[in-house]
Amino acid sequence: MHRRATTTSSRSWRSWARIVLAGPVAIIVALTLLAGMPLWLPGGAAGIDNLVFPLVFAPLIWAALFFHACLDPRVGRVALVAAVLFLMHGGLVVSRFMGEAQVVEQIP
Amino acid sequence: MIHLKKDETKTMVAVHGWSGILLGLLLYAVVLTGTAAVFAHEIGAWSAGHVATRSAFDKPINASVRQLSAMTPPQFREAVNLFEIGDHGLGVFFHRHELDAKGMPVERGIYYQLDNAGRIDRIARGTTEEVFGPRNDDALSSFLVDTHVRLHVPDPWGLLLTGILGLAMLVAAISGLLIHRHLFKDIFTLRRRANPVLVDRDKHSVAGTWSLPFAFILAFTGSFFSFFGTIGVPVVAMAAFSGDVEALSETVFGNPEKPDPRPHIIGNLDLVTSDATHRMGEIPTFIAIENFGRADAEITTFHNPRTGEIKPVTLLYDGVTAAFKRTKPTVGTRESTGGTLAGIMGPLHFGNFAGVLSKAIWFGLGFAMCYVTFTGMRLWVVRRKDDARSLAWLERTLTVVGFGLPFGLVISAAAFLITMPLGSAVYWTTAAFLIASITAILAGIFAPSNELLTQMLKGATGVVMFTLPFLRLAVAGGPDWYRALAVGQPAIAALDIAFVVAGLWLLRGCWIATRTPRRSGSFTSAAIEA
Repeated sequence: MHRRATTTSSRSWRSWARIVLAGPVAIIVALTLLAGMPLWLPGGAAGIDNLVFPLVFAPLIWAALFFHACLDPRVGRVALVAAVLFLMHGGLVVSRFMGEAQVVEQIP
Repeated sequence: MIHLKKDETKTMVAVHGWSGILLGLLLYAVVLTGTAAVFAHEIGAWSAGHVATRSAFDKPINASVRQLSAMTPPQFREAVNLFEIGDHGLGVFFHRHELDAKGMPVERGIYYQLDNAGRIDRIARGTTEEVFGPRNDDALSSFLVDTHVRLHVPDPWGLLLTGILGLAMLVAAISGLLIHRHLFKDIFTLRRRANPVLVDRDKHSVAGTWSLPFAFILAFTGSFFSFFGTIGVPVVAMAAFSGDVEALSETVFGNPEKPDPRPHIIGNLDLVTSDATHRMGEIPTFIAIENFGRADAEITTFHNPRTGEIKPVTLLYDGVTAAFKRTKPTVGTRESTGGTLAGIMGPLHFGNFAGVLSKAIWFGLGFAMCYVTFTGMRLWVVRRKDDARSLAWLERTLTVVGFGLPFGLVISAAAFLITMPLGSAVYWTTAAFLIASITAILAGIFAPSNELLTQMLKGATGVVMFTLPFLRLAVAGGPDWYRALAVGQPAIAALDIAFVVAGLWLLRGCWIATRTPRRSGSFTSAAIEA
């Protein structure tokens, strides 16, 4: 009886965690990627690919995060991927404002 | 084929259903008006009775622009936009770039509206948001486009709302693909003799499967357009340009040349338009002049994609000599993957890359999307009605929106045709839509049954659609078919025929329903029994 209650409680917790990861967390991580990607993507022939790719692919980036949160059987892995992406890109943006990251690739 | 585990499929079915049911009604409104807006240009010509045979850029514009330049205060002569309006009239927007109170870049200036004889119709002063409102002769097409783009909610909230709807559609499309166990089989499965629930589920599935790639493209490009200026540009500018949106815009769209602020008279614009038309085989859709009246002035002409291509074309001219400089990408200073990607987003969303053919395909698939959205919501409600009888109100709401929205749109078209000659079409096009919407809501509240409500709204829509061509001819004073065809406006006759046929089709459906009243009613009851 106790075990069943624990399982139900754990399942409910996982469902909520999944909803949070697919909802607000996916939005925050997508926005962080949008801000961070221009700082590491190559500029391409016209020096604008790093600016255009995040803008164009923003809806798909959000969708990928959303479906990953829905479909990955391990909630912990979803949280880990979201955290890594958030910290990497958030860190890049912070270092950019501290003057450490490259701003924009110059057009050759 | 994607095979998910049982639990994952269950999750995807829930995601598919909830993404549709939570935002489905608004999504239906956006998709329906977007479907109609595919032909916004043709609807504008049909409703306002365009009969001018020569485009504004086919005629000399140089003298007009110089004359307007002399009338314009120097502070607004930084840049000029030229584009066609109404019945081959010319819109000329002299403006300067400045920052608004929130620090966002805006264009402020004087907008001259010229008729097709080159006379000034109207002069408006202010920012782009203030001067580019609907006009008496394009109120109907503007109403359709504004409903589709922002649901008449003020910016940025309207764009954010439609962007979220785009994401909901993206989720519904991807989850719809994932839950198909037999994708290719589902494309061709229509069990016409099965019970009504299965028949409707098959129709939803077939229409949804065929239009899946289209739904994905529309949702992706639509949410891109909605979020581009509202979230995307400010965030990228914040990270890469310390919040300087103008610097980002200059990097992506600008023409980096050495500044030369010496005053210089602008080159002959007629040479530019004729050369651009000769090079591209058709007139420009838009002309932008940067640094107007300076030695470093540049003129950019924008064109539809070449035949067989999907990417729009832009040509760059020297602003002083009017000499052709080069073909440049729409986005970026030279050809690049990012520029191409951003450049094709518009044609992919608007379906205007292959003329009427691609527009017709986009219209058809858009209509299929409306059908999928509406039937999807109905199936969701019907499947749960047994568990929650209170969902009857939702079924009623679905009918009010599903059939009330087309009713409201055709009423607004009728109101436009009646009030355009009086000069009050801008007000009455919207007001009539609201009155029709309220009428549909009241009918939804007081109609004795959902079936009767459906037939009432379909019948009323059919009657109004049938009368639209007659209103256009008799009340709005539009051209007859002979004249329309003679001036190269086959869209006028085509839309007349489309309205009459669609009206008769709706009336025929109502007539059949009154003779066999149990068929539609059995949808719900059979579903509950199933």
